[in-house]
Amino acid sequence: MAEYIVQMVDIHKWFGKVYALRGVDFNVGFNEIVGLVGDNGAGKSTLIKILSGYHIADRGEIYFNGEKVNIQTPKDAKKLGIETVYQEQALAPHVSISRNVFMGREPSKFLGFIDKKKMDNDSLNVLTDLGLKIKDPNLVVETLSGGQRQGVAIARVLYFKAKLVILDEPTIALSVKESQQVMEFMKQLRSEGISVIFITHNIYHAFQISDRFVILSHGEKLADVRKEETSLDELISLITSGKSKSEV
Amino acid sequence: MGIDNKRRRVVDLFIEFRALDVFIIFILLFLTFLLLSPGHRFISKDNLDVFFSIGSEFTIVPIVIGMLMIAGEFDLSVGSNLVFCSFIFFKLIDVGVNVWLSSFLTILVGTFVGFSNGFITVKAKIPSFITILGTMMLWRGVTLFWSQGLQKALELQGHDFFVKIFTGQIAKFLPVQFLWFIIIALLIGFIVHFHRFGNWLYTTGDNKQAARAMGINTDMVKVITFSIVGAVVAFVAIMQIVRVGTFTSRAGDGWELNAIAAAVVGGTALSGGIGSIFGVFWGALIISIIQNGLVVLRIPYYWTFTIFGVILISSAIISLYLDKKRLSVGAAEAGN
Amino acid sequence: MGKRRASFLSYKASFTFIVFVILVVFFSFFTPNHTFVGSNNIGALGKLIPDLGIISLGVGILMIAGEFDMSVASIIPVSSFVFINLLAWNVPLIITFILTLMVGIALGTINGFLVVKTGIPSFIATLGTMMFWKGVVFAASRMMPIGLRAYLEPGSTLENVLTGTIGGYFPLQFLWFLIISIVLLLFLHIHKFGNWIYVTGDNKNAARAMGINTDMVKIVSYVLVGFLCSFMSVMQTLRIESFTATQGSGYGLKAIASAVVGGTSLTGGVGSLPGILLGTLTIQILENGLILLGAPVFGINAFIGAGIVIFAILNVLAERFRTR
Repeated sequence: MAEYIVQMVDIHKWFGKVYALRGVDFNVGFNEIVGLVGDNGAGKSTLIKILSGYHIADRGEIYFNGEKVNIQTPKDAKKLGIETVYQEQALAPHVSISRNVFMGREPSKFLGFIDKKKMDNDSLNVLTDLGLKIKDPNLVVETLSGGQRQGVAIARVLYFKAKLVILDEPTIALSVKESQQVMEFMKQLRSEGISVIFITHNIYHAFQISDRFVILSHGEKLADVRKEETSLDELISLITSGKSKSEV
Repeated sequence: MGIDNKRRRVVDLFIEFRALDVFIIFILLFLTFLLLSPGHRFISKDNLDVFFSIGSEFTIVPIVIGMLMIAGEFDLSVGSNLVFCSFIFFKLIDVGVNVWLSSFLTILVGTFVGFSNGFITVKAKIPSFITILGTMMLWRGVTLFWSQGLQKALELQGHDFFVKIFTGQIAKFLPVQFLWFIIIALLIGFIVHFHRFGNWLYTTGDNKQAARAMGINTDMVKVITFSIVGAVVAFVAIMQIVRVGTFTSRAGDGWELNAIAAAVVGGTALSGGIGSIFGVFWGALIISIIQNGLVVLRIPYYWTFTIFGVILISSAIISLYLDKKRLSVGAAEAGN
Repeated sequence: MGKRRASFLSYKASFTFIVFVILVVFFSFFTPNHTFVGSNNIGALGKLIPDLGIISLGVGILMIAGEFDMSVASIIPVSSFVFINLLAWNVPLIITFILTLMVGIALGTINGFLVVKTGIPSFIATLGTMMFWKGVVFAASRMMPIGLRAYLEPGSTLENVLTGTIGGYFPLQFLWFLIISIVLLLFLHIHKFGNWIYVTGDNKNAARAMGINTDMVKIVSYVLVGFLCSFMSVMQTLRIESFTATQGSGYGLKAIASAVVGGTSLTGGVGSLPGILLGTLTIQILENGLILLGAPVFGINAFIGAGIVIFAILNVLAERFRTR
């Protein structure tokens, strides 16, 4: 059994002349929530886009469950069980919940015609598993609150047996209450054996829920600490100073 | 808006890559038609007269359409607005209203049509081209309905001065329509490139949210621009009907697409926020010269549709390509 | 069977339905001698509605996928021209028919690739192709109409199947329209691909993130429009027994009007097949009724134009009302 579910080793990425990632090592353990933080332009988005197949690293290797893998497209990442949930971009607002959950993977009994019963039942089940109190899977997504919508997006990856879920700024447009709801979802994922990468600007949210923090700055990893080994104040000073932990 | 901004805008205006390109294409086309036309008919006095007079009626329109496109909107109803205003003017003169008053009222009507286009677009948040599709049919339909069988000529006896303003000749050789074209182009160019309003136009077209965040009332900017389009179209309608002497229900037919093509050829982005009036100036002349050239070369008129289709699509593609190139550098720099 | 979605659109669809009923009642009463409900007119409607309807279904589905096709007005005459000319070259009728359909598919494919691969806004791209093909068909035909009967004797199987009647009364054209409607209904509302169409139009990025090939979805939708246009064009040419270079004129806008009046959103992701059908009926009887009332042909466009604007506004308001 490998030590980490995902291991990214010495990742480098250029965009034209811009050196976006400068030799970053990034790991995620099993049943772990990792908070990936850092200011704008630090490289967080690029790093996880490489992991989810939207970009390809110029140099470096990725190991999944101990084995070396080659992630060239989003499909490759999905096959491994790596799923990403973007905030606004995850759902079609005018379409029903169940059709959203099964978007692209609609269950069918015959020639591609949708098995509506299965679709509705299964989506209802997975929503309930996650703790969402929605009774009607035919409700159109835009009638849901922000927190519920995130819940639907997360329920989707839960259903499709993700092993690693990347949440990119999930709480950014949400109220306090809704943010708490999303963080409950994250805990739920962890208890189902799914690891989570939680990208956020909100250091308080990150601190609240993560088991470990990785701080990026200007394309380099500044710090990689377990929650027990640090404090909120230390994290904040690390991020704002832009210096590595050893330098502080 | 300091001196620096102004200086940069002058620089943008005159050495912006796209605009120069367009100018060069114009010269090339001019030479091509010159050489290819039998007996160099292209630069005969008669043809040049036509080009500068009738052609200028058309070229004025892309100037304001380009302005609107910079703000991120389209107006496909200019043809319909044109024929409608043309009719209004005719009717007013017919019932004996004074020529100056008629002109004023017609321009008012045109402005109103433009205003309503703008208003519907911003308030109902409908994509402008659909609004316009609808109103386009509306105004032309109404006009055709009212003008059934209209055959009378426009009675402008004793108003020589008025007529001269719109259809005379400067120094006996340059049709005055062309002068109007230059004047309007300069005026709009000034507003777009040197006035605060122009800055608002660019910002609104480029990133509406950002513009609103900076306190620009994007709705008002758009509605005003639409109204300007309407007003200018009305002006052209008057100019045209004074020249032709009768009302034609086919006036302005197809102008909307050619106007957009002209703006696109002149470097205006379809998505808004990019373009220059200088470029549109030459783009309009290019479209006009092609229309004229095709006639001189005796190419059957049906090919004009095909040619314009090709021009529209290829200039849209080129425009998009160049903009992507320009923006990709910025994206790389901002790359996470 | 899409009922849940249809009922969710119930505000828009039911409003359209009310308008439809009002129009029917109005025209029934106010047309001179009630010609609107006379058997001649019903017969005429039985042929006009399928013409517009078949096109609108394609255009409406494409709009749900988030794109526009302004070139239907040109695909129709091009198809008709090809059809008659192939017959003039003695190509067997059934082969001619198939080749004509393929022309529609080809034009649709060109539109699809153009929009998807270049990234230009679809209405500009298809305005461009519309003009392009318009010029081609004008030039090729030199604007001269061509009679069908010079090359095709009446009574051929194809003609009977497409444009004949059942019991001398019910137009087969209408039956074809119904068949196509049902097939597309199943396709849009119950099939996987239909879901892909909705989500592509509603949130293209989400669809792509979920592995849906949105480019393919759009191209297929354009091909559908092209195919339906050429199919309808053959039916129409057989019925009116000639080709005219301006044959498709006006359909582009009427099709969009039908879709919009039927509750299809201009920004994609929203719409239903029953809605498009209802919209088509409304627009068609509006046109028909106005003609019977003696309104000059051009004035009718004004009403259709106004119709698009009013319904588009209503759609938007209904949206806002629902999500408050």
